[in-house]
Amino acid sequence: MTTYLIRRTLLLFPTLLGITLLTFLLIRLAPGNAALLKGGGGESGGRAMTAEVREQTIKLYGLDKDPLTAYVDWIAKVFRLDLGESIVDHRAVAAKIGERLPLTISLAGSALILSYLIAIPLGIIAAIKRGQTVDRAISFIVFVLYSIPSFAAALLLILLVAGGDYLNLLPMYGANSINASEMGFPAWVRDRIVHMILPVVCLTYASLSYISRYARVSMLEALGQDFVRTARAKGLPERLVILRHALRNALIPVITVFALELPVLISGAVIIEEIFSLPGMGQLMFQALAARDGPVIMGITTLAAIITLLGYFIADILYVLVDPRISYQ
Amino acid sequence: MNPASANHQTYAQRLWRHFRADKFAHYGLGIVIALFIIAALAPFLANSHAIVRVADGRITFPVLLSLEPIEWRFLIYVLLAALIYFFRRKLQTHPRRFLLLTCFFVALVELWLGFSHPINDPSNDRERPSSFKLMPPVAYSPIETTPDQFSPPMWKHPCGTDSTGRDIAARMLHGARISLSIGFVSQSIALLVGITLGGLAGYYRGWLDIGVSRFVEIIECFPSLLLILVVINFTGSQNNMFCIMAVIGLTSWTGVARLVRGEFLRLSGQPFTLAAQAIGASDFRVILRHLLPNALGPILVVATFGVASAILIESSLSFLGFGMQAPTPSWGDILSESRRYIDFAWWLAFFPGLAMLVTIMSYNFVGEGLRDAVDPRLRIK
Repeated sequence: MTTYLIRRTLLLFPTLLGITLLTFLLIRLAPGNAALLKGGGGESGGRAMTAEVREQTIKLYGLDKDPLTAYVDWIAKVFRLDLGESIVDHRAVAAKIGERLPLTISLAGSALILSYLIAIPLGIIAAIKRGQTVDRAISFIVFVLYSIPSFAAALLLILLVAGGDYLNLLPMYGANSINASEMGFPAWVRDRIVHMILPVVCLTYASLSYISRYARVSMLEALGQDFVRTARAKGLPERLVILRHALRNALIPVITVFALELPVLISGAVIIEEIFSLPGMGQLMFQALAARDGPVIMGITTLAAIITLLGYFIADILYVLVDPRISYQ
Repeated sequence: MNPASANHQTYAQRLWRHFRADKFAHYGLGIVIALFIIAALAPFLANSHAIVRVADGRITFPVLLSLEPIEWRFLIYVLLAALIYFFRRKLQTHPRRFLLLTCFFVALVELWLGFSHPINDPSNDRERPSSFKLMPPVAYSPIETTPDQFSPPMWKHPCGTDSTGRDIAARMLHGARISLSIGFVSQSIALLVGITLGGLAGYYRGWLDIGVSRFVEIIECFPSLLLILVVINFTGSQNNMFCIMAVIGLTSWTGVARLVRGEFLRLSGQPFTLAAQAIGASDFRVILRHLLPNALGPILVVATFGVASAILIESSLSFLGFGMQAPTPSWGDILSESRRYIDFAWWLAFFPGLAMLVTIMSYNFVGEGLRDAVDPRLRIK
């Protein structure tokens, strides 16, 4: 097990290097760069500044170096835990990410937890009542939900319940009301929760359908196992058979999927954040892309990649820990 | 189908039998085919030009003159697919000749389209005097602006109009072509890349396998939408349809590659592969004639779900403003525009949303049905 852990950890690094190198090259080889955009943009670029200033700007951001040297420089800085500073406003990338991370994590995190809480019972009920009306109804509803694009759902929900000509129950956009800074803490929390309802609903329903289908298949597989038949044969009540024997085994793969869903915490909410004008990671990435803000793009990609890899890592280890039959020798 | 016993059915026939037993999958396939036919006929369903017009004793077909190359392409290829389907029995006797003929035909069509110039006639035939005219059901073009802005759905505009008075029904009918062809072509690109890389890794193993697997892992570690946004942002300011197809295809092949690699690893140890190798079949032949056909079922399943997700990705991109160029109608584009008027113009969000739901759901039903048919363990006894 220890050897496996060490080997698995060592394998993370080449992948991480590959991801960052690929992103770096993509940014550098793309037409147009941040220095030219600062000088007014356009195809010829930088008409608004003199050639001298343009040269200086390009030099300042290290855009004159060849991509590989610049990449090595960037890596060296990252090892000193310095993600560099944004080209747009010269603030540290880490600080920019840091101030947006809590919103995205609370948004995506609550959606993830909520979808698990709803999806697992749904999947299990569907599996137990396999082929019956309940199963068909659940499967069909989940399937429809799975196929609705989240942004279409978000728009229609806004139209129906947030402002507009119909119900006006919830705020339309933003993470807080305009006067949030004057509120006391409890009022602020209430305000934030009210603002988060629609985005969380939109994020929840999509992953809910995916997880519940997964839970259903996993439960079906468990119910078909020999030990379930044995449990029934020795006369255990059906409730115990399901809860104690089938369910525990069915949950193993479902829980490990949780680890694979972790990257959603960083990036899954790009569209929802855009629709509801929430100042989160997705919006930051969106703005950084538009401004060709290399350091910020690199920072977010690296963070997302690390968390994704960590998710795979945790999933692999969870498999071994929960299921003693699997071993990595 | 001749009433042969189950033992004499081919793999494809067995798949089809199981697939057809699934009612939802069957309907899903029907809807997908109907959507393709609607997309192919879009210029005849929504157009400001008359289909047939008789004036001054002359019969003209204004719609045909105004068709753009892409509209011809869609029309001809859907027709070709229908012809192939109807004459499939006859074609089976000379597969090679048929393949050559199809390639020749496609080349001819592309050559002709390359030199053809559509007549860009901004006028319309709605008010033009003529002794007889047959207008399409929706008498508006997708990019034509009219004075009735924000008209709610009514007889003249069945799905309403947008801020510049463009007819939403016309835009959606023509936009279907974009969604469907992007789903289809980008998945074909993904299949090509995925099968090639995954197949090589699974067949030759060793260093090639390690390299490909790492590469797949690297691509999968990018959150998919972020990767696409990064790539599309840097392909330049002009996003034409092929560019978007290529970007979506080139970022979504990893699932196929993983699957093909796994299947090839499993199949290449089996007796029939060893037998083929033993009688001296080349690697190319073993891969193409023995391994690939055996892995085709699961590949088809992944590809069907892939089409659904490609359609979703394309509409997300248009929605975020990275999609097709402005006047080109696409479902995501209509939805994106609806954001500004969301407090009253429900038809701008509802109809394209519904169209996407129906399309994606049909593809998902087909994929689900295919998976059940391919995987004998899931079959209902």
